[in-house]
Amino acid sequence: MRGRDVAMAERYVKPGNKERGWNDPPQFSYGLQIQCGGPKRHHLARRVPGPADGAPQAPPPANSAPPAVPAALASKPVGPPPLAVVSPALRPDAAKQVASLAEEECEVKVDDVLAPLNETLSMCRNIVQKQVCDDISRRLAVFRELWLQGKLSAPVRKRMNILVQELQRQHWDVADEIHRSLMVDHVNEVSQWMVGIKRLIAEARNLPPGDLVANDEQGAGAQPAEEAL
Amino acid sequence: MATYLEFIQQNEERDGVRFSWNVWPSSRLEATRMVVPLACLLTPLKERLDLPPVQYEPVLCSRQTCKAVLNPLCQVDYRAKLWACNFCFQRNQFPPAYAGISEINQPAELMPQFSTIEYIVQRGSPTPLIFLYVVDTCLEEEDLQALKESLQMSLSLLPPEALVGLITFGRMVQVHELSCEGISKSYVFRGTKDLTAKQIQDMLGLTRPVVPVQQGRPLQPQEQPPISSRFLQPIHKIDMNLTDLLGELQRDPWPVTQGKRPLRSTGVALSIAVGLLEGTFPNTGARIMLFTGGPPTQGPGMVVGDELKTPIRSWHDIEKDNARFMKKATKHYEILANRTAANGHCIDIYACALDQTGLLEMKCCANLTGGHMVMGDSFNTSLFKQTFQRVFSKDFNGEFRMAFGATLEVKTSRELKISGAIGPCVSLNAKGPCVSENELGIGGTCQWKICSLDPSSTLAIYFEVVNQHNAPIPQGGRGAAQFVTQYQHSSTQRRIRVTTIARNWADAQSQLQHIEAAFDQEAAAVLMARLGVYRAESEEGPDVLRWLDRQLIRLCQKFGQYNKDDPNSFRLSDSFSLYPQFMFHLRRSPFLQVFNNSPDESSYYRHHFARQDLTQSLIMIQPILYSYSFSGPPEPVLLDSSSILADRILLMDTFFQIVIYLGETIAQWQKAGYQDMPEYENFKHLLQAPLDDAQEILQTRFPMPRYINTEHGGSQARFLLSKVNPSQTHNNLYAWGQESGSPILTDDVSLQVFMDHLKKLAVSSAS
Repeated sequence: MRGRDVAMAERYVKPGNKERGWNDPPQFSYGLQIQCGGPKRHHLARRVPGPADGAPQAPPPANSAPPAVPAALASKPVGPPPLAVVSPALRPDAAKQVASLAEEECEVKVDDVLAPLNETLSMCRNIVQKQVCDDISRRLAVFRELWLQGKLSAPVRKRMNILVQELQRQHWDVADEIHRSLMVDHVNEVSQWMVGIKRLIAEARNLPPGDLVANDEQGAGAQPAEEAL
Repeated sequence: MATYLEFIQQNEERDGVRFSWNVWPSSRLEATRMVVPLACLLTPLKERLDLPPVQYEPVLCSRQTCKAVLNPLCQVDYRAKLWACNFCFQRNQFPPAYAGISEINQPAELMPQFSTIEYIVQRGSPTPLIFLYVVDTCLEEEDLQALKESLQMSLSLLPPEALVGLITFGRMVQVHELSCEGISKSYVFRGTKDLTAKQIQDMLGLTRPVVPVQQGRPLQPQEQPPISSRFLQPIHKIDMNLTDLLGELQRDPWPVTQGKRPLRSTGVALSIAVGLLEGTFPNTGARIMLFTGGPPTQGPGMVVGDELKTPIRSWHDIEKDNARFMKKATKHYEILANRTAANGHCIDIYACALDQTGLLEMKCCANLTGGHMVMGDSFNTSLFKQTFQRVFSKDFNGEFRMAFGATLEVKTSRELKISGAIGPCVSLNAKGPCVSENELGIGGTCQWKICSLDPSSTLAIYFEVVNQHNAPIPQGGRGAAQFVTQYQHSSTQRRIRVTTIARNWADAQSQLQHIEAAFDQEAAAVLMARLGVYRAESEEGPDVLRWLDRQLIRLCQKFGQYNKDDPNSFRLSDSFSLYPQFMFHLRRSPFLQVFNNSPDESSYYRHHFARQDLTQSLIMIQPILYSYSFSGPPEPVLLDSSSILADRILLMDTFFQIVIYLGETIAQWQKAGYQDMPEYENFKHLLQAPLDDAQEILQTRFPMPRYINTEHGGSQARFLLSKVNPSQTHNNLYAWGQESGSPILTDDVSLQVFMDHLKKLAVSSAS
């Protein structure tokens, strides 16, 4: 499942905030950060032993007089870099693909995403406190508003669509991971309402099996069966 | 002679232990003549993908003063079902559950490959982890907004069963009552007056009501009335309300006039946080996470006044005894830190500001408890945001790396005693036969407490050989040590990790070459460095450097091959050859040179140095330098000015910074745009290669390093120029007549000069 999580998460690198920290490191997406579980053998860890006498290897000076113009200080005209066809990558692994952040097209409709969410919420109303359900409902409304106002970027909309599909398939952990990656990568867009989704996933997964109907189709599914508890 | 490098590496991978000496001098006298003490770096929770924990209690030696854990060094009589403790030689009966063991059916803990083994044990009901956010509201709007978002985000990263709490502070300190009802309440405290733990608990209504107890019967845990948890609620219940509460946080409302700093009551805020946890959840894993955007300016623990025209203390001020708040403030935080450690909790400090925030005074909060210290310029930077995300990072099994409430106990065979430990811990004052009277670091004990740790946390432990000179080498020829770490795993399980190691004794007079060959110069450098930095906290800087130099000269005198008074004849064997370089760079490092750093920066660097594993510690002492060129794969090069060449790209890793430096010609090509031309695609690859390598480091390191992308002549090139050995300076450029490398404008001593002096002193019959 880990591999699948990673495949679903966005993988990108953005520059850091140069205005607030001039040497701010780049920002990695959640997807790129979590793939590094486990102890990593730091491959840049070798040192070169210095010569026994501490001096770096220097060719003996040809003559004792200093050169007329030390080459390091002269600015001589520089030719182009070598043209030779080098092996495809100078390193054994090729450079990682960095996904561009260009606006992707997202043609999902908000109601296609909201319907399964509202459905799951109504399934929860049997067991979960009214206040909590109302709170979730309120946040779903905020989510819808922001979507309709065009304030949610394409990656957020796309991934929410994937999230609800996983939710419908009762893949709770996957849905949870997607919520987490959205919180990390797009907190300023999602912070108001995403906690409602988080809660919805958490409450839904705790429902007794009879209350949930596995729904493989998108959109409205069968009515949940009335179960005596 | 067999090389010990493989032995050293295998042992580190299996046990998380690196010893300065891997063959031990058998007498006290000889051990002191080795100059570098017998000591080890221990990473108690080293990540082991191949070590599934066993689900039973460890078997202990029955001798009350011993209680060592059954391990592969023990002699076993499978027929009689007896085992002999290798530390005290007590014969012990195996427990009934071991009735079926035999030579061919050994329990895991007896097998040599399980010299390190982990047990999962039941110790009462599991207690939840606690995260108490203590948030400064005297921030600029942009910073506060970014911080709020990071905190909201972190709610999604917390372990789902954890408890959370919120304290905000500025001029006043507010303890927020977390409830699922609509109205949010908080208790407000003045930021000027410190309160005792009892006063805080009373004012928050946390005092436990008295329950009548039946005579002679102790109160069972489930009978005790529930402690009010109004301030600390489970995240799965309170996440939505807390998200809203965080979203509504405003900047501290008290106006700040021109020329003044905001009144920030950090000292009282922390005091209340510590008192709150002390009263409600002692002895369970908890993080007090302090987020601050400036120095404490009010109340106990204040570090500077509110007049901007009075700057916060510099090293110069401290030297001249001109830091009026320092002693009192440091004392305030030390008392808090010790209480926190006694309660088994930790304090993290996330300090983001352009000026200092008082890390010097507050450092004990993180250092004694094992908490994190993160220093950034602003909360709205990727450095803070990602470093903070990584607090909640998970391991390969999808479990949180953070662990809590560890106690480390060290046992030794009788020829060894324990002098002390240096690392993010406090002493548990556990006396015993293993404890030496000669203290190094935190001594006088064989047990320490590490309230917060992770798989990279590393302690330095110093030993003393106590065997008398000319006493025969102990039977079996090996000395042993056992490290037992009990801790709370992030899943709230209690676990015990046991590592038992042994090394051969050798008579230094007749077998010095064996001892020499088994010297681990990397471990020795870090162990000496930790000692030096530990001393630097209380001694004068020049004294520490003199001590370090003296030890280096003595080591060279003892182990160098040379003819008396002939410096040119001086040679060091391979196992010592890097050691002088390490010492040279250590002397120049920000851990020992405070010039050019603020007191806060020095505290920050030292904090990280005192807890990292060997590889990272060495990077801090002597940064890694790799060179990229058209002529082949990237190669490590000398950390020397001669490595700075026009047609090379350099990648330097100092742990705190990643520097990519384009040589002059490379920079010119880049400016000319060759990387965009298809026929020069190899140049594009060349430019990309160090960026990819840097990315690997940037993706995993905690804390996230600063990232400097610079070139020949760039102002930020100084980060590279100040670290490399200045073998060519304006003083000696012409004397060499060589054309390669860039001269560095400095009067610092170069490695060559350093080595020359060292050799002269080592071979001198006068020393």
